[in-house]
Amino acid sequence: MNKLVALAVAAAFAAPALSQDKPKPPPAWHQGKPAAMAESKLAPHAGKMTETPTGDIPVSKLKLPAGFKAELWASGMPGGRAMAVSDDGKKVYLGTRVIGRVYEVTDAGDKRTVRVVVDKLTQPSGVAFNKGSLYVFAIDKVLRFDGIAANPNAQPQDLTAKFDLPKEQHHNWKYVAFGPDGKLYVPFGAPCNICEPPSKEYAQIRRYNADGSGKEVIATGVRNSVGFDWHPKTKELWFTDHGRDWAGDKGFEDELNRVTKVGLNFGFPYCHANGQPDPDVKKAKACEGVTRPALLMGPHAAAMGIKWYTGKMFPAEYQNTAFVVRKGSWNREKPFGFDVINVRVGEDGKATSRPFATGWQEGGEGYKFWGRPAYVAQMPDGALLVSDEQTGAIYRISYQKPKAAAKKQ
Amino acid sequence: MLSLRVGRWAVALTALFLSPVFSQERLELCAACHGPGGNSVNPQIPSIAGQPKLFIENQLILFREELRKSEQMLPVVKGLKDPEIIKLAEHFSKLPAKGMEAGPANAALMKTGLERAKALRCGICHLADYRGQNQIPRLAGQREAYLEAEMRAYRDGKRTGGDTIMAAALYGVGDADLRALAHYLSRSSVERVSPGKVSKP
Repeated sequence: MNKLVALAVAAAFAAPALSQDKPKPPPAWHQGKPAAMAESKLAPHAGKMTETPTGDIPVSKLKLPAGFKAELWASGMPGGRAMAVSDDGKKVYLGTRVIGRVYEVTDAGDKRTVRVVVDKLTQPSGVAFNKGSLYVFAIDKVLRFDGIAANPNAQPQDLTAKFDLPKEQHHNWKYVAFGPDGKLYVPFGAPCNICEPPSKEYAQIRRYNADGSGKEVIATGVRNSVGFDWHPKTKELWFTDHGRDWAGDKGFEDELNRVTKVGLNFGFPYCHANGQPDPDVKKAKACEGVTRPALLMGPHAAAMGIKWYTGKMFPAEYQNTAFVVRKGSWNREKPFGFDVINVRVGEDGKATSRPFATGWQEGGEGYKFWGRPAYVAQMPDGALLVSDEQTGAIYRISYQKPKAAAKKQ
Repeated sequence: MLSLRVGRWAVALTALFLSPVFSQERLELCAACHGPGGNSVNPQIPSIAGQPKLFIENQLILFREELRKSEQMLPVVKGLKDPEIIKLAEHFSKLPAKGMEAGPANAALMKTGLERAKALRCGICHLADYRGQNQIPRLAGQREAYLEAEMRAYRDGKRTGGDTIMAAALYGVGDADLRALAHYLSRSSVERVSPGKVSKP
C-alpha cells in the first residue's frame, strides 16, 4: 500500500484556514503540488497485500530480445521487492514495505519454497547478504541474522543503535548493499516530495563498516535512491534516483548517477536532472557544482534496481552492461516505465540505454498494468531474476542461442 | 458492559474455532459485531457493508500482521489465509450499505462538518460522495463515534501501519472539527452510493 493517497493534503495550502490549525509538517509526497494541479486525481497506485495466484501472473506477456525467455520462478510473496542472494546462490531474500515482512526463497532446482523470515517490521525493504549473514533494514530498525541460510531458526542481532537512523519516515525505506570495499551502503531519502530537508541527515548516501561503525557520507543532494550497484571494472558506484513529482508529465526525469569520487553533490533540492533548477526551492546558481546524471531515466519512471551483468549465460554484448528496472509512473497522465532497460557505457564513457523487458503495462494511454517490476539480481548460472512488487513474484530470465543464429556459425 | 462484552466474545470465539473459514458461522461472527449484513448497530464499531474490496482486504491483512493493532480483530483474523480474506472482502463489499445514525442532525455541526470536509478535500480521495475507492474507505454513512475516534487516532499518530497520509491530512485539526466532520460524514447519504445502485467510479 505504498499508495494510500490523499490529495486532500493539498488543501492544507490552498484551502481557507481551519480553526485551531497548527503549523503544517511537510506533507510528504504531496509537497510542491502547484495550485494548477490541486484537483488532479493522480495518486500512487494501490499496492497489493494478498497473494496473487500463479494463474493471475501472465508471464507469457513479457517481451524480450530474441533468445531470451522469462518464466515464473517464485510467487506468493506479496510486496516482495529488493533481493539479496545468499553466498551459495541457493537462497534469495526479499524485503517488502507495508506488509512488513522479509521472505526467504529456497531454490531446490526444479521448484522453490517460500517462508517468512521476519515480520511486523516497519517497511523492511532493505536486504543484503554478506559472509553468511542477512542484513535487514526497516525504516527504524537494523537486524542481522547470522548463518540463516543454514539455520532457519537463527535469531537476529539488533544493530539499530549503531546506524544512527533519522526519525522521519517518508523516503526512508531502504535499499542496502555491500560494496567491493566491504562497506555497507545505505541511502537516506529526503522526507518530502520537494523541500529543504529538515536536517543534514537526509538526501544522502552513507557507507558504514558491516557492524555499523565508521559512518561516512559519500554523496549528497540525493532525493530518493532505492537502487545501486558497482561497475565490475571501474568499481564505481552507480545509483538510481527518483525525480520530484508535481512538475508535469515531462519530469523532472529520474536519474542514473555515477559516483566517481566521494563527496559529490547530486543537486537535490535545488537542481534536477540535466541541470534544471527547481521552481519551488530556489537559490542562486542552483546547479553550480552539481554532478550531472550519467543517464536520464525518463519522467516519473521510478527507476529502482540496477545490476551490472557479469554472468556467462547472456551474449557477450551484455557483459559489463547494466540492467535497470523502471517500476513505472503514477504522477503522470500517460504511463511511463514498467520495464527493464539495458544500459551500456561506450568507449567515450557515455551511457546509453535500450529496451530489454517490457509487457507489464498493456496499451498506451491509460494505466493498465498487471505487474510492476522492481529489482534485478544475477544468479550463479548467469540467469537474471526480476522481482515484481505488484504480483509478489520473481521471474527468471534466461538465454539460449536462437537456432537460426546457431546454424550460421 | 465489560462482562457483556466478554460474554459475547466467548461465544464469538467459540463459533470461530468450530467453524470452517468462510462459512455461515464466519459471517455470523462478523455480524456479531459489525451488525446484520455488515451495517453496524454499535456506534463504536464500523459498518463494513459496501466498503471497497481492496480496503477491506488491506485492513484484514494489517490486522492479521499486527500492523494495525486491535485486540478485538486479531483473534478473529489470526490464521486467516489470503484467499479467505479476499472472499470475505468480496462478500462484504457487495452488501448494501445503510446509514445507521438515528439521532437528529445538528444543523451547526452539519454546517461546520461540510465546510471542513471541503477545506480538507476529503472528497478527492474518498470521492465527492464519500463512497471510497480501491484502498480508500467509504465514509458516507459510517458510524459517527467510530469515525471520530479513528480520525483522532490518525491525527495523534496512534493508527499506523497502512500509511502516514491520513495523519498528514488531519495534522493540527482540532477535536471540535473532528467531531463536526464525523457528524457530517456519518449522515452523508449512503443509499445513493450503495453497490449495485451506482456504477463503479
